[in-house]
Amino acid sequence: MTLSKLVFKNITRRRGRFVFTLLGITIGIASFVTFLSMGGSLKSEINRESASLGANLIVTPIGSCAYEQVSILTGEILPSNINMENVAKIQAIKGVSAVPVLTEKTAIANKPVSVNGIDVEKMKGFKSWEIGKGAYFSGADEAAVIVGFAAAELFKLDAGATIVVRGEQLPVKGVLKETGGRDDLTVFLPLPLAQRLYKTGDNVSYMAVKVANLALTDSYIQQIREATNLGVISDKQMLKSVLSIVGTVNITLQMIAAVSVLAAAFGIINTMMTATYERKREIGILQALGAKQRTIFTIFLLESGFYGIIGGATGVMLGFFVSMTAAPYITQNAFTSFVKGSDSGIMIDPKTVIGSILFSTIVAILAGVYPAWRAARLSPVEAISYE
Amino acid sequence: MSNAIITTKDLSKSYSSGAVSTHALRGISLEIEEGSFTCIVGPSGHGKSTLMHLIGGLDRPTEGSVHLEGTDLSRLDNSQLAQLRGKKIGFVFQFFNLLQGLTAKENVEVAMMLSDISEKEQGNRALKLLEMVGLAEKADAKPSQLSGGQQQRVAIARALANDPAILLMDEPTGNLDSAAEAEVLEILNKLHAGGKTVVIVTHNNEIAKNAQRTICVKDGRISC
Repeated sequence: MTLSKLVFKNITRRRGRFVFTLLGITIGIASFVTFLSMGGSLKSEINRESASLGANLIVTPIGSCAYEQVSILTGEILPSNINMENVAKIQAIKGVSAVPVLTEKTAIANKPVSVNGIDVEKMKGFKSWEIGKGAYFSGADEAAVIVGFAAAELFKLDAGATIVVRGEQLPVKGVLKETGGRDDLTVFLPLPLAQRLYKTGDNVSYMAVKVANLALTDSYIQQIREATNLGVISDKQMLKSVLSIVGTVNITLQMIAAVSVLAAAFGIINTMMTATYERKREIGILQALGAKQRTIFTIFLLESGFYGIIGGATGVMLGFFVSMTAAPYITQNAFTSFVKGSDSGIMIDPKTVIGSILFSTIVAILAGVYPAWRAARLSPVEAISYE
Repeated sequence: MSNAIITTKDLSKSYSSGAVSTHALRGISLEIEEGSFTCIVGPSGHGKSTLMHLIGGLDRPTEGSVHLEGTDLSRLDNSQLAQLRGKKIGFVFQFFNLLQGLTAKENVEVAMMLSDISEKEQGNRALKLLEMVGLAEKADAKPSQLSGGQQQRVAIARALANDPAILLMDEPTGNLDSAAEAEVLEILNKLHAGGKTVVIVTHNNEIAKNAQRTICVKDGRISC
């Protein structure tokens, strides 16, 4: 017999109570892990999308807020308020390569799909796309579409197929090779065609800009602002501001989850207090057999700690399971969740595993201090005479 | 007596509950010889069990002292007292007091675990002790699967786990039928013959007859 075996036998003796107390801490830790890993995957998704933009600067209508910045990364519809005159002004600035983008949406097989109206010539060089099947646009106003890799796979679109955009049948001219970013889930149209179909007139949603000399980024920003009176943000600033929003949301969610772990700690205190009352006589027996106060204290503290370790471990497993099954539906939209290659990217991070189990163990041990102290200070005669 | 293993001097114990004070023991002085078989008898509620608790270091006197093998128990802190209980005294109680979640063997092992004996040695010794009380085949049985007599024999095996010099028993046959009582008595005689100091609090005349010495406690005092 060892102390830990005795402790394990004690907590598993009353199985119902054991399971319910354990569930409390398990659920608390599971929600903690779920938010933690989903937050992490959201961050890496944003980083990936930002990298796939391929731009150093983003030009948006003045006054664009964080929501618009997020929308650029997530492929949501943006207001189209930048006219072609401004596009031309930016393109005329020396040392920048600028491409206009009109972001819209269409539906294929009842699923929403991002549509980007692009300057076909400039964009191909800007993004370094490669064509997987079929061919790229041959003219600036060709009535055809190029489909991203994942979208083509999901909707079984090959070169030569047709899709309907805003009531107009358009042939699929080509399919892009996999890029690993949002372009995989997008349908691309020549800009004039997109502007006509979506009735945006002469306007585009934003401009992606590459600069020739990164050291002069601030100067380019200034030049664009002076030339156009539009908002300019660097990709790093945008990433920072989006990540800071995501970070705030994450921390709030994690704090809520941490509170639920603390609530579970009170469940442990309750269970352990009940145990000290119920097992008063048993404590007396152990004292008669030579158990010191610190041994009794250790037994009860270990029992409490066991809840933390086991609850932490099961919570981590449940948390990752929930993250993996539910995260795609939460962090991405209904369409992307079906797409291979756009998985949520939930990773089992050893730091999260160890940190969560440690957190739950520390909380459980702290929860056990008072009951253990109560048990340890019982007088042997009082305890053994208890009926 | 020259070779007293237990000595008490003017031992008193009183309990206070508000303004009311109850005197359980009133100045008991006695000596119990090493290797003797002593019975403490007397009416219920007159202080027999309290005396046993004080001798065994389960409680502390209000006044007076208890010496065990020359050690003054009042000079020991709680931790030292617990250590002494574990090593020098084996307790057996009327209601067996086995740990319900553990098997017979594990109950014996727990006592050794508390005295820091290795797990391997615990197992070997527990089996030998259970064999000695005739319960080797019940080593893996839980207390709920054992009769009263069997449970008390497991309790005796547990009391012997750390080979204590003194066995303190509070009504060890109080809850047993006559057959089980005879079995327990036989074991007690064997232990006494083996050199253990046996002190039994009892109402049972059969046990008292076996004792070398009988101490009567009445109204918290020694009356015979």
